[in-house]
This record gives sequence, C-alpha cells and structure tokens, in this order.
Amino acid sequence: MMQWKKTMWAAGAVLAMTGAAWAQDKPFAGVELKMLGIGDTSVTRVAPIVGEFEQATGIKVHIDQLPYPGLIDKIIVEASSDSPTYQLLWVDSPWVGMLGEAGALEDLTSRAKRDAAEIGLDDIIPIQLQENTWQGKLLAFPASGMVWSTNYRKDLFENPEEAAAFKAKYGYDLAPAKTWAQYRDIAEFFTRKKGEKLAGEVLDKDFYGTAQAYSRVQGAITHDYFPIMRAFGGDYWDPKTGLCAMTGEPHIKAAEFMKSLIPFNPPDYLGLMWDLRTGYMERGEDAISSYWSVRTVRLTNPAEAKVAEKGLVVGYAPSPTVDGNPQPTYTGALSFAINSKATDKEKEAAWVFIKWATSEKLMRRFAEEGQGVSQFRKSILSDPALQAKYPYYKVLLESQKNARRRIFHPFYQAVEENFGVELSKYMAGETATAKEALETACNAVNSQLSIFPVEQRLRWINDVPAEVLAK
Amino acid sequence: MSSVTLRKVVKRYGQVEVVHGIDLSVEEGEFVVLLGPSGCGKTTTLRMVAGLEDISAGQLEIAGRVVNDVAPKDRQIAMVFQNYALYPHMTVRQNMEFALKPQKLAANEVSARIAEAARILGLEPLLARKPAQLSGGQRQRVAMARAMVRTPKVFLFDEPLSNLDAKLRTQVRVEIAKLHRRLGTTVLYVTHDQVEAMTLADKIVIMKDGHIEQVGSPEEVFAKPRNLFVATFIGSPAMNLLPAKVAVVNGAPVLVANGFRLAAPPSIVSALDPGASVTLGIRPSDIRVDEAGDYEAVVEVDEYLGTEVLLNLRAGNHELVAQVPAAARPAPDRQSVRIGFDAARLHVFDTQSGEAIR
Amino acid sequence: MSHTANRDRRIAAVFLIPAIVVLFATTIYPMLYALWLSFRNYDLAKPFIPRIFVGLANYAEVLTSKAFFHALITTFKLMAMTLSAQLVLGVGIALLVSQKLPGMALARTLLLIPMMISPVIVGLVWLFLYFPELGYLNYFLGLVGIGPVPWISSTQWALTAIAIGDIWQWTPFIMMGTAAALQSLSPEPYEAARIDGNSRWDVFRYVTLPQLKPVLVSLLFLRAIDAFKIYDIIFVLTKGGPADATEVISLYIYRQSFTFWRMGVGAAASFVSLIIISVLITLFFKQMQRGQAARAR
Repeated sequence: MMQWKKTMWAAGAVLAMTGAAWAQDKPFAGVELKMLGIGDTSVTRVAPIVGEFEQATGIKVHIDQLPYPGLIDKIIVEASSDSPTYQLLWVDSPWVGMLGEAGALEDLTSRAKRDAAEIGLDDIIPIQLQENTWQGKLLAFPASGMVWSTNYRKDLFENPEEAAAFKAKYGYDLAPAKTWAQYRDIAEFFTRKKGEKLAGEVLDKDFYGTAQAYSRVQGAITHDYFPIMRAFGGDYWDPKTGLCAMTGEPHIKAAEFMKSLIPFNPPDYLGLMWDLRTGYMERGEDAISSYWSVRTVRLTNPAEAKVAEKGLVVGYAPSPTVDGNPQPTYTGALSFAINSKATDKEKEAAWVFIKWATSEKLMRRFAEEGQGVSQFRKSILSDPALQAKYPYYKVLLESQKNARRRIFHPFYQAVEENFGVELSKYMAGETATAKEALETACNAVNSQLSIFPVEQRLRWINDVPAEVLAK
Repeated sequence: MSSVTLRKVVKRYGQVEVVHGIDLSVEEGEFVVLLGPSGCGKTTTLRMVAGLEDISAGQLEIAGRVVNDVAPKDRQIAMVFQNYALYPHMTVRQNMEFALKPQKLAANEVSARIAEAARILGLEPLLARKPAQLSGGQRQRVAMARAMVRTPKVFLFDEPLSNLDAKLRTQVRVEIAKLHRRLGTTVLYVTHDQVEAMTLADKIVIMKDGHIEQVGSPEEVFAKPRNLFVATFIGSPAMNLLPAKVAVVNGAPVLVANGFRLAAPPSIVSALDPGASVTLGIRPSDIRVDEAGDYEAVVEVDEYLGTEVLLNLRAGNHELVAQVPAAARPAPDRQSVRIGFDAARLHVFDTQSGEAIR
Repeated sequence: MSHTANRDRRIAAVFLIPAIVVLFATTIYPMLYALWLSFRNYDLAKPFIPRIFVGLANYAEVLTSKAFFHALITTFKLMAMTLSAQLVLGVGIALLVSQKLPGMALARTLLLIPMMISPVIVGLVWLFLYFPELGYLNYFLGLVGIGPVPWISSTQWALTAIAIGDIWQWTPFIMMGTAAALQSLSPEPYEAARIDGNSRWDVFRYVTLPQLKPVLVSLLFLRAIDAFKIYDIIFVLTKGGPADATEVISLYIYRQSFTFWRMGVGAAASFVSLIIISVLITLFFKQMQRGQAARAR
C-alpha cells in the first residue's frame, strides 16, 4: 500500500515537472508546505535558508512567524480545521498534552525510529525528546532545547570593589547564585539609582538588580514562577486525584519570594514579557536574570544584544535552588510538529523538512556561523571549541543530566491563564495573599477538571516514558 | 435717553470702503430712520453704532461720550434684530432674564421689569412659551420686550418688520410707534421700506452707496427732495420725470418738455439758466385731471385702489401716472382726459447733477 | 389590477432576496448560532470533551463570576473616563476651530486624522509612546525630571493610558459633530448677547450648550456603544493587564472563547453583557430625553 502510494506520488511529480530525470532523488519535489511558527531563535535561524532545502529536495517551505502570545490560539484553530492551511506547526512543549489529546499532531515515533541513524537520535539529550511526548508518543521534534538558567553580569561580579562591598554587606563571596536567597541578595545589592556608582562609574540611569516577567500576558509570569515553585519543592498536580495542587506551602513561599524581588525590578515589572525582560540583560541594564536558554543565546550575538557590543561580559550558570544542592533542572523544548490533518504526502515531505532543519549538520553550521541556538545535541554542546565560543553550552549540557520535564497537561492553557492573571494580581497588590491568589487559580482549573473521572485525570498527569527512547 | 452723533464715520472692509464718512446727529428722544435700498450702508452704520462692527475712521458719540472703542455692552444700547435673535431653547421670560443677567439686578427688580414689558407689549400669556411656539409678530414683540427691559438709552432696530407679512407689519409698526411715544427713548431704525420710514420717523436719513443723500422730516423729504434719487425713492407711486429745457418766453423762463410748456415755479425762476437741460418731477397726486386741463392725455390703464385711482396716461410721447380720488375716476368709456399742472408743485432738477434747483 | 399588484409584489420580493440573504448570513445566523452555543459545552481545543446541552449552566457561571463583574465595572470606568474627556475636549476644540482664525480650516482637517486610523495602529502608536524604557512619552517627561512612568505596566496607570489613547482617537468624532452643529447655529443670538453684555461663559453655558445638546446626546450615544465594545487598543497595549487592570468585557469574552476555548461560556457572557448594556444605555438616554422634553414644556 505504502509502496503503491509512493509510486503514485512519484508519477505525479514526474508529470508535474515534465520529465525531470532526477525525480527519483527528489520524491517530494513540487510539494508546498506552510509552517505556523514563532519569530524567535528556534525559527529565525532556519527561516532565511529554507531556499537551500528547496534546492536540495524540491519541497517549498513557507514559514509564517508570529509572536508567541496568541500563537497557540491560531494553532488550535488550525488544528480544528479539516482542511488545514499549515502542515508544519511550531510547538512549545507544554502544548503537547492539549494538542496530543485532541489528536492534532502526527505521531513521529515510527519515523524517528526508522531514521534513527540519519537523525542521530542517540545524540539528542533524552529529556528533549521526552518533552515532546504525550502518553509516550513523540508528537514533535526538538528544534531548540531549553533549560531555565541564570545569566549574570560577569564583569560586575569580578569587579574587586563590588565584590568587596558585597562581602562586607552579606558576609559571603559574590558569585553566581546557588540559592534563591543569594539570587535575591545579588539583585538587592546591584539595584542602584541614577547618580550612584556601579563598578566605579556614575550611572546616568537607574540600574536594576534583576528583571523578572510579572506580566499576565500569555501567562508570562507563570514561566518565571514555575521554575521557582519547582525549586521550592512544589508540584503542579496531586498524584492521588490528578487535580491542581499548587496551593501548598512551597507554592506560597515561591510566590512570596517572587514578590520580594519586585523592589529590584524595573518600574514596569507588571508589563514585562519574555522579550522585554530579557532586553534588560541584553542591553546590560540588570545584574542577574534567570530565563529560558532560548533567549540566552541572543547574548552572544551582537546583532541581538548590545551587551556584547558594549564589551560587557555575561556569565552563565544553572538556575538556583533552595538549598544549593542540585535539583532536577527545569527544561522545555521548542519543536516542530506535523499537522495530523495534512495529507500523507505532505506529512512525509514535512518529516523530510524536520529532519533537515534539526540535523546535526545544520545545527553545527548555525553554531559555527555565530548564530546562537539553544542546542539539544550532545556532540555540539560538548565540542570544546564551541564551548569556548558559547560559554552557556556547558550549562546546557551539564544541567540536563538531572532534569525533569515541564508541565504537559491538556488543560495547560487554563493553568497558564488562570495562574497568569491571579499571580499578577497578587504581585500588583490586588490580591492580599499568595494563598488566596493560588487558591483562586487552582479552583478555576479544578472546576474544569473535576467533571472528568479520576482515571482520566491521572492519565493526563502521567509522564509515560518516550517509546522512541526505549532500547 | 441720549443723543447719538456720527462724525465723518467711515467703514472699510479691507480695501473696499462701504460707508464714506457720514455725519449724522440724532437728538435725545428722537426717532431716526435710516432708509435706503439694500447695500446702501444703512445696516453697516447701525451695526457700527451698536459696536458689532468696528469703525474704520471718524468718531461716534453716544450721550456726548466718544464710544468708538467702547464694547457694545457698555454703550447702553439695545438692539432688535431682523430675525428676532431670540434664544430658541429659552422661554419668553428666560429670554428677558438672560438679557438682564449682566446687570445683576435684584430678583424682584427683574420680575418687575419683565412684568412691565410684558404688560406693555401684551406678552403676559406668552411668558412661559418658547420662540418656536410663537407667531412672527409675537416673536418680534418678545425681541422688543427683551430690548426694553434693559432700559437702554438708545434703541437700535435692524429691519425689524421685514420678516413679517404685510398685515402684521402694519400692526407691529403701530406698536413700535406707541412704544416710542411711551418710553421716549432715542431710536435709530433701519429699513428699506419708505412707508415704515414715513410713518415712524421724526427724521429720515436717506442713504445710497454709503452716502447720506438727505436728512429731514418725512414732510421735508417728501415735499422738498434734494435730488432725483430722493425724489424717486420717496413717494408711492413714484414721481413722474420728464426731460425738459429751459426756454425764455416774454422774458420769463418756461419749461419745455416735448409738447408741454410749463411755467416755472415762481420760487426758482431766478435760478434757471436759459437753455439748460433739466428734469421735471411731478408727483402723481399733483397732476390735475379735469376738463379745465391744458393737455389731452390717453388713459391706457386705470388701477382702482378703493379710495383712489391710478391713471396710467400717455400724453404725446410722455408716460405719466396720475393719482386721483376715486370719485374723480373717468367714466369707463372715456378714451382720454384733460390734465393740468400746478407750477408751484413742480420739482425741477439739474439733469447733469441730479440736484434739485432751488 | 390585482394581477398587476401581485406581480409587483413578487418582483419586489425577488429584489429583496439578496438583502435578506446577506442580512441572515452576516447578522441573524451568527446571532442565533451564538445563542445556541451559549447553552452548550463547547471547547474548540478539546474535542474529547462532549459538546452537550448544559441548560443555563454557562449563564449561571457568568453571572456568579467575579471576573465578569470586574470586567463590567472596568468597562464602565473606562467609558466614564473616555466619554467625559471626549465630550469636554471635543466641544472645546470644536469651539476653537470654529473661530474665524487663520489656519483653523487646516487644523479641522488635521484633527480628524486619528479617527481615520485603524484602532490597532492607534494602539501601536501609543505603544511606542508608552514604552517604559524606550517610549517617547517617558523620554519627554524625563527631560523635565519626571518618571519613568510605567504607563501600561502599572495597575494604577494602565486604564488611564488606554483611556488617553481612546480619547486621542475619538475626540475628533465629537469635535466634528459639534463643529457641524455649531455652524448651523444662527449668529444673531450671539450678537444680541454681545450687546446685552452676557459673559462668554454664560453665552456658552446658556446659549450654545443647550442648542448643542441634542447633537451631543446622539454623539455620546454612538460613543457609548463603541466604548462598550472597546477591544483593539487594549489588545495591543495591555491585553487586559497588568493584573486585571484593563480587563474589559470584550477581553473577558475573548479569553473565555479563545484562551480557555469555552465557546459556550463566551457566548453566554456576550448575551449577558448585551442585555446589560442595552438596558443601561436605554435607561440613560430615556432619562436625558425626558429631561429635555421637560425643559421644552
């Protein structure tokens, strides 16, 4: 059957291209694919060179780049259409539960296994594949592997005057924060007003200790809150009931901790989205900031971050923990997926594109050309020459040895939105206590979950190991 | 009450001069009418007195005080507009109250004045109505009442009757006359209607093209028009005009007008130059129609007006209009009548200048 | 004759069909569909949830939702801010540009520009102005030693910031309507007032304003309906945030429908707010008309 179909495609392609002799090498020549993507590093690197892919395969790929807020809404509308416009979908790993349960994404397990050697399956950090699974099925393929890590101003940390002053004030050496308490101390220490001195120079504008995302838009605040919450020992779900459990002691402490950072943030903290908050580090306007490594990569690119141009030095470290001991790293993956409603031929062509766009060859090329990508291949991350060029590679590689995947529940959007609004209200002082905010958000999520049988809810929170990783 | 004096008052709009240095004095308590065709500058003059237009040159005095640069509100005048200028959303009473507001009077004084004005102008039953619920005549009475309550020293009227129909016009005209008699306030009144001017004015000021043609009592301007313009503008039907030459017969000047040979009015005999071209003016009512008349005239049309008849006559190649009492109407079958002229009632104008010869 | 009449009627019906079809397809059908939706559990993102009839459950959820009433109150707050400012500024500018001064005709035309720009673009323009670190507004405020003010990222300022954008865009609407009405007023009552010596304020308050009132009521009515539906500028500037400071009713409905994908709840919220706004606006304008009629009597 498969064979017969392939023959038909080939025949069609031959007809379409009027007797091209190389039709055999390019079985999908003439196929046009559209991708619904994001305008961020996981897409912006590959988008300009899709012409090369077309030259090699005859498959034409057009990528639409949209901002993150609202992108999932468009993907859902696209997924609910029987005749989709987009065959390729950009997927943030927490969406796989929702899209997977809806049957919106093609299962890539068998293809990945079939082409394991070609794609270098063993070379990919396992958690990055796990991030893209739903009920053990691989529904998307990593294009950027993310960890939540710390970026800090190395030049300031190494300034002897600052180091001495820090030690005098806090009683320990100034170094990348190992604990969240240190993170707060550092943020506090480096918060300076215009006119004060920083590393011996008088500031012509305010300098901020940190810049966290407190915006409710697309749940941005939850992206900052969840790593802290997890570090404080909190989890999303009650393993007995499958209901929202984010109202406990660690959850409250994490929210209160995040609130305690506000004085060291810019005045627009409530409006800070990922791009805005990382902008402070990229311009050299804050001292320490933890965020997704997919934006860390911009710091080594002078076209994207002034900090490199200014000769300022950024250092990289794993995200802090509560006690200073290593804890499972908070990971994520930005991936490419195939719309399950696409035609069989389009699906095959799309898989060819995914293989090409995530290949070791292309990833290495990006690295060598100087464009940062949040890499997910061990061979690249462990390359000493590249590690020297991109100091954060070490952090990416080492921190993922002990990692645990991010939230992946089908009701992720309800979590992101409800916690986004309620946490933001708490940070703005509209809700009196963290407990109240978290309870309101959890109740809203549970009101939607409670109608489902407990077995179903437990299935939704169960992280089945990826079949593709089974030996 | 107060006098108004204009000295060489000029109005220019950019380069265009529309009022050319007029002199006028209005005595205290006098009713003066500015009369003239449209575009003669009468309204502009009135608006300069009101202060709604700047005076380009010259001097304006009200009550002996130069007021060129005094704001309208400080000139102690009140104005009644052609289209009433009432506040459409206010009742009659509110219209008057609003006009009084700047004077900051005690409440009882305000109501007393409104009551007085309403009584005089018969507006008592209308005080709670709005302008839209009033007839044109009522609205004009409200406009007058509103002007009156302010007890101004000078009343200014800008064609107050021209939006009213003929019957109402007569009625309101009488009311204005009565009002003036009762209040004795100085009035400056603009109209293009000679009947209004003749019936109301103590003194008529006839204007044309931004100049004053003649100032005088109604009787004066009617009986002794200073020039052809005034002669033809005043009087209805209009004065008959005949081109003529001054001839001398037996040492006495005779006015020869194509078939007519008329004796010159005795008072001007000495002023007539033999051979000069003149224009004869004869008011229709001054043409005698009787058997003793010197000339034959064909009756072309006769217009019966009740108490009198207008005869449109042809005598030689002259077309004349004669006004006779209805009783003297020629029999319907009469083709022609005899007409005659009274030398003392002839008006003689220099054809060249249009000025009356006196 | 009745034959002809019948035929005329038939022809008329034929000509009406396209209009009826368009009306049905664009207005009536979506309304009925939304009404049907409001009684169902319909999650677009989760086809595994049964799309069943749920009676009044969606309505009950909306009517007991704190967030819904918060959004309603925020909408009315915003409406009060924008409408009052647009009224005062619109009338003020109309009075100014109606003066016979040089350049006023040009000014009148230029002032209309904001109204012609798409609200999304207006949002972007203000986004550039409001940006905390890089925005022009804070740059200029900084020159005089103020700020930086977190315009769109503080719960204290955000609603005002939205209001300013909306006021900027829609004041010209009030201005245009008012200027047209001013031109239709006869000049004589103003001359009469000048001679009588009424102050400028009194003339405005007692002569101009009452005559403008019918026009202003209509203009405000149109603005009120628009203000209730305000969406684009908020979506661009704050998306309802920070916290829930600018979450208006249309944002609430959007979130229910397209973030939580609970289309039924979103539809129910639409109908509830439609009823509320209809009742309130009708009451308000009835009251204004009654006031006017009372004065007319």
